[in-house]
Amino acid sequence: MKPHVIRYLIKEGCRNTWQNRLMAFASVGVLICCLLLTGFSYLLFVNVDHMFQNAYEQNVMAVYLDSDQDEEAVRRIGDTLQGMSNVASLSFLSKEEFLAQYGEALADNTMESFQGENNPLPDTYIVSLRDLALFQQTLDAISAIDGVEEVSYDANTAATLTKVRQVVLVVGGSIIVVLLAVSLFIIVNTIKLTVYNRRLEIYIMKSVGATDSFIRFPFVVEGMLLGLIAGGVGFGLISLLYKVLYSHFSFDNPLLSLVPFSQEWLPLLVGFLAGGTLVGVCGSIISMSKYLKQEGGLRS
Amino acid sequence: MIEFQGVYKTYQTGSHALEDVNLHIDDGEFAFIVGASGAGKSTFLKLIMREETPTAGEVIVNNYRLSRLKRNQVPYFRRTMGIVFQDFRLINTMTVFENVAFSMRVIGKKKKEIDRTVKHVLRVLDLHEKANRYPLELSGGEQQRVGLARALVNKPALIIADEPTGNVDPQMSHDIVEMLTQINEKGTTVLMVTHEHELVHQFDHRVITLEKGHIVSDTGAPMRPATVSLGSLAAEAGGDTL
Ligand SMILES: Nc1ncnc2c1ncn2[C@@H]1O[C@H](COP(=O)(O)OP(=O)(O)OP(=O)(O)O)[C@@H](O)[C@H]1O
Ligand SMILES: [Mg+2]
Repeated sequence: MKPHVIRYLIKEGCRNTWQNRLMAFASVGVLICCLLLTGFSYLLFVNVDHMFQNAYEQNVMAVYLDSDQDEEAVRRIGDTLQGMSNVASLSFLSKEEFLAQYGEALADNTMESFQGENNPLPDTYIVSLRDLALFQQTLDAISAIDGVEEVSYDANTAATLTKVRQVVLVVGGSIIVVLLAVSLFIIVNTIKLTVYNRRLEIYIMKSVGATDSFIRFPFVVEGMLLGLIAGGVGFGLISLLYKVLYSHFSFDNPLLSLVPFSQEWLPLLVGFLAGGTLVGVCGSIISMSKYLKQEGGLRS
Repeated sequence: MIEFQGVYKTYQTGSHALEDVNLHIDDGEFAFIVGASGAGKSTFLKLIMREETPTAGEVIVNNYRLSRLKRNQVPYFRRTMGIVFQDFRLINTMTVFENVAFSMRVIGKKKKEIDRTVKHVLRVLDLHEKANRYPLELSGGEQQRVGLARALVNKPALIIADEPTGNVDPQMSHDIVEMLTQINEKGTTVLMVTHEHELVHQFDHRVITLEKGHIVSDTGAPMRPATVSLGSLAAEAGGDTL
């Protein structure tokens, strides 16, 4: 298509949108609701995931070392642990520190007898993992290191967290997909109402020799316009609403606080504009294609 | 040129709209199609504009063999003809000017050429003062002239009109056929369906009568001196004179 034809068709698309502004308004409204629902599911998912992430970071392993090792060997084990790809952070707890931490619970004379050479506690490394899904592999690898006597961990928590996170991922993803499909369905039916009134126009255009793409183009422009408007307005609304929520639910406990909006606005904006445009354009094309295929045009 | 070779059209409802229609219409002819309601006149035109396809037989229009026409070629085929409807079929949200210009936009003409040609055509049809009006602000006769302008603006080789005078008064009917006759004299083939026998008798054109899907009479092209010079007039039709 030549540039001046494209310019004309874009203008036509805008004119048609204005011409059918009542229905355009309805479509945009429906689309905004769908985008908000989808957006909030996304934010819910992000927040749940964020909380799990925090929980992960607090999920640690205690690596107890054999008692008869010199400082050099202990440091070497530390280096090995540090070098493992799934180890997020590492801290060392010497047996003296260990005793100091837990000794308070013991009777004074017992504490006394445990000092120095008699300390039964091992030197310990506290390890936190990057990815809990790799828990078992990492555990095996650490246990296999020379000089490691035992690894203490809470396997159940790790496994549960991993499973729950997967479920949240699948459920959240499905909800978003279903919501998008539902929006498309509603949008198609809203736009269909406008197109029904325009089937005579489509027929006339066909009768003067307009190609399918020529007829479709303004509808694509219209869908895009509606999608962008809905995406923009929807984004404005969700940022407002989320900021209100955020200011009401910010706790000191990192496990419970919400993800700040500043971290999520870009994917949301892109998602809203792209999602709105996609649904708008697809909805527009789907709802008019029936009349485009139909010869005679007026047999509804 | 239009040719029907053993054409049958049976609708899905089972009604036999056309049966064994054989017909040849030369370039530059003017033919009336007459017949009672339900005789198959509209079906005949719909087969020509490829809105319907025959159940059997072959239709050839402007060198297109319609049975071989692919769906994506249909728009290009339609551009070889201008179509006028009984109910005008104007786009009500577009001005008179835009309705006529639309035919030219579809084939990708530039704004300057569109402006010039549409203004010219509107002037010829005495519509230039209504260029910026909307169809619903016009009388039936005016709307039909807009329809005619839209059909003419690309100077098609063939004009088909299904009862173009069905919704206008007798005087305007006569004027419309008069205009079509003038266009025809410049070389454009004209096919016009009508109910009105009186109107047909006012002009000396070929008359094809349909009855229950069959051609029951065909006067053939009338012999007249003008036919001799059709060639030169047809050449003129390509010019600015319409
Ligand atoms: N789309 C259709 N589906 C089924 N039957 C149809 C269809 N169009 C026309 N017919 C039938 O085919 C026959 C011829 O119809 P057609 O419209 O060609 O008649 P016509 O001569 O134009 O009549 P009129 O003067 O009333 O316009 C009629 O019996 C009609 O009922
Ligand atoms: Mg009819």
